[in-house]
Amino acid sequence: MSDYAIIGKRMPRVDSRAKVMGKAKFTADLKLPGMLVGKIKRSPYAHARILNIDTSKAEALPGVKSVVTGKDTEGVKWGVFAYTRDQEFIQTQKVRYIGDEVAGVAAVDEETALKALDLIEVTYEELPAVFDSMEAMASETELIHGDFPNNINVHVNIDTGNVDENFKKAHYIREDTFVAPEESYFQAEPYAIVARFDHEDCLEIWCPNGGPHMKSKPLSNAFKIPLHKVKVRKIAIGGAFGGRSEICPVDYICALLAKKTKKPVRIQFTREENTIATRQGHAMITTHKTGVDKDGRVLARETTCYMDGGAYSSTGPIATSVPFLSMEQAYRMGSVRYNGYRIYTNKPIRGMIRTHGRGFAAGLDTQLDMIAEHIGIDPVEIRLRNSRQPGEYTSTKSYVDSCAMDETIHKAVEKSRFKEKWGKLPPLHGIGIGTNSVQTGFPMGIRGGSQSFIKFNEDGEATVMSGVVDNGQGNDNMLVQIAAEELGLLPEDIHLVSADTETTSSDPGSYSQVSTFVGGHAVKIAAQNCRAKLFKVASKVLKVSPDKLVAQNRLIFVRDDPEKSIPIKKVVRISLLNFNSVNAEGGYWPKVDMKREWVKNPYGQMCEAFSFGTTIVEVKVDPNTGQVEVLEATAAQDVGYALNPLVLEGQFEGSIAMGGQGGMLTEYHEWNGGRCINPTMLDYKLPLACDMPPKINNIIVESVDPKGPYGAKEAGMSIAMSAAQAYSAAVSNAIGVYMDSFPLTPDKILAAIKSKES
Amino acid sequence: MATNISFILNGDEISYEVKDHWTLSHLLREEMGLIGTKEGCGNGECGACTVIVDKLAVNSCLYLAIEVEGKIVETIEGLASTSGALHPIQQSFVKNGGIQCGFCSPGMIMSSKALLDKNPDANHEEIKHALAGNICRCTGYVQILESVEAVKNMGGQNE
Ligand code: FES
Ligand code: FES
Repeated sequence: MSDYAIIGKRMPRVDSRAKVMGKAKFTADLKLPGMLVGKIKRSPYAHARILNIDTSKAEALPGVKSVVTGKDTEGVKWGVFAYTRDQEFIQTQKVRYIGDEVAGVAAVDEETALKALDLIEVTYEELPAVFDSMEAMASETELIHGDFPNNINVHVNIDTGNVDENFKKAHYIREDTFVAPEESYFQAEPYAIVARFDHEDCLEIWCPNGGPHMKSKPLSNAFKIPLHKVKVRKIAIGGAFGGRSEICPVDYICALLAKKTKKPVRIQFTREENTIATRQGHAMITTHKTGVDKDGRVLARETTCYMDGGAYSSTGPIATSVPFLSMEQAYRMGSVRYNGYRIYTNKPIRGMIRTHGRGFAAGLDTQLDMIAEHIGIDPVEIRLRNSRQPGEYTSTKSYVDSCAMDETIHKAVEKSRFKEKWGKLPPLHGIGIGTNSVQTGFPMGIRGGSQSFIKFNEDGEATVMSGVVDNGQGNDNMLVQIAAEELGLLPEDIHLVSADTETTSSDPGSYSQVSTFVGGHAVKIAAQNCRAKLFKVASKVLKVSPDKLVAQNRLIFVRDDPEKSIPIKKVVRISLLNFNSVNAEGGYWPKVDMKREWVKNPYGQMCEAFSFGTTIVEVKVDPNTGQVEVLEATAAQDVGYALNPLVLEGQFEGSIAMGGQGGMLTEYHEWNGGRCINPTMLDYKLPLACDMPPKINNIIVESVDPKGPYGAKEAGMSIAMSAAQAYSAAVSNAIGVYMDSFPLTPDKILAAIKSKES
Repeated sequence: MATNISFILNGDEISYEVKDHWTLSHLLREEMGLIGTKEGCGNGECGACTVIVDKLAVNSCLYLAIEVEGKIVETIEGLASTSGALHPIQQSFVKNGGIQCGFCSPGMIMSSKALLDKNPDANHEEIKHALAGNICRCTGYVQILESVEAVKNMGGQNE
């Protein structure tokens, strides 16, 4: 359908050559002259008062260049919002989880730094600790944060009205509770950071990040230096999945050590530290109460979710809302009431994660299956009767423009032959369906928009500047594809300068599925503006009006007479000889409701577009071992428009792996009190190549969003959510028991089979 | 304690003074600056540090540097030709989307090379088995497996 030369093509990523050669530099690969090794002293207690910290022995150790504690931080605190600033960068009063930062060391090498950590003497007075959100709310012992009664950190309340009235009208009502423990990101690259203060006293840092501008602002606040003096640099990033969204205390500690020693400092997390001391996914207890009419249409729903938030706020208000928002986008509801509580416990800090809560989404879909069974329709039918339609408003008043939810259902059903298989599979075989919807961005106020600059060089190649960061998903390639398309160049002619706060303008970051929609859009507009300048010059040479011109393959030619052409390089040179530079800017700010706020006012336009999708999975369960064998997975996703199917398919398959195969079958954290006992890749069971389904069907559905660049929306996160639901539905279908505790490990499956038999 | 060792690294004869407790990944990354070999865990769990020693794929984070005395070591840096032409496995990973963040890629490629050097016709099951020690958190492995399979049809030629 398209006339695009580069957009929509299966193009290998521009960053892949450096990566297959081992030349791409990640943070831990950086070596700067005179660089010191930094290490963090962490709390061994889940909850304790700090009585004294003695660093004298550590400081006296030869090779130790600096030791910092909370005394050096001037009391600065971190929190994503002004009302959630509850975390000191280095604790001065109390520690609140096993792993909390109490001191930092910089030394000439790793051995010395580790020795110095042992020489720091911290005297603690242990306090009673709580490790469960329900206990934390009821606890009468010392609050984790004094100013948060019942240890309730965040309460999100959404109420559309009429909920109780509509329940009265319902033909059938059920209430079910679903639980799931914490999960983790396990990015391939453990967290690392390098910091230095340069000759102009500017702080320069390299680290995996979900948005460089989201790092520079808090650091400029913390160090009380102007924003332009914090230079977050571009570096290859080994995955994020939501876990690199905000600054973390080590960013500050590393910079502080660099400031004190006047030397570059590198801190590299161990695998355990990456699990414990970055972020984790929330454990959740979710109750859905749903009332439907006799046809299975949802009239009223009441959802209450208790989320174990760990020791600090992090992205709390957002994380408490997004599971609900994804549900209200995917499904129509007559009326709904949501109460989301994020509870402090003495466990590691929880943030946002790709699946946004298995206990929430998978629970909702499981309950729909239960309702469908009760009223005698199949799982596909009940979804079609409640699925989001284009042109509607969500419960929290976001207008939904493009929406091909039904098409994704139909296509996934057809490809997986769901209708032929449903109810007819042999014993212990099952098939299940899940749906998803994800927002492309959040209202982020001043940082909600992105801006790009493009300059042409005299050789006819172009430099594109954008604040968008690539966490591994392919954003760099996306920007290059868009710029090349619009400028009429080849991808190799584009030099990308991105994710660097010194040279690029503010950008919302890549963690709210916004990179293409906002950042890509800005590049598109900048490139169009730049092309207009080229056309102006070319139109004089070719003697046709600019609107008759096309730029493609390094040429500008007349649309109806392609023989009439001029190389872009020549146009640039003519322009420069006439004292006109060839550069341009472009920006994109999504039209969202700036008054919308997570807690105070959770209503209004959330973002401009939503993606929608359906996943279907077929499984076979071994009744002797409880093992699940996945036979086939099918994912159909309304991505708006596929900019690069090769990259999209990689996102689809990665989502099936993380959300379904790992997220629903094997991944969860185990605890001994507040100590995570499976922080490593051996104990926390990530899917391996041999675990994956033998067949994954990727179906790209294109609703061509009127506002998205080329109609594109989102594709990176969504399928992980519906994959979780589809996996759980398929297992429930195979064993004939609706599962309510995730992930579905063999012990739970065996217990369910046994309970059914007796 | 330090020992002088001699070995072949990507075709070159090397002699190096190594401390006895150094791992091979430490020697490569921190001492010799060969940062293409990644460290994702340092515990033999993720395979990001995979290199080939005497034709066997090993986790260099668990392999003591002094143990490579007299052996032949291949790392990701040795795959492409000096003129920059990619090895067929590298070409295939680029073409078939076998990389996303790229952190697992050097290890994946070295594990694949060890397999294909020994068994150029390896089937799907054998490939999955050979890559079972390499964790990828991004791709879901599908495009990685396709990349390795596709090498068979490329005739083993450099780009
Ligand atoms: S770093 Fe060697 S196996 Fe993970
Ligand atoms: S590509 Fe990111 S871990 Fe494999």
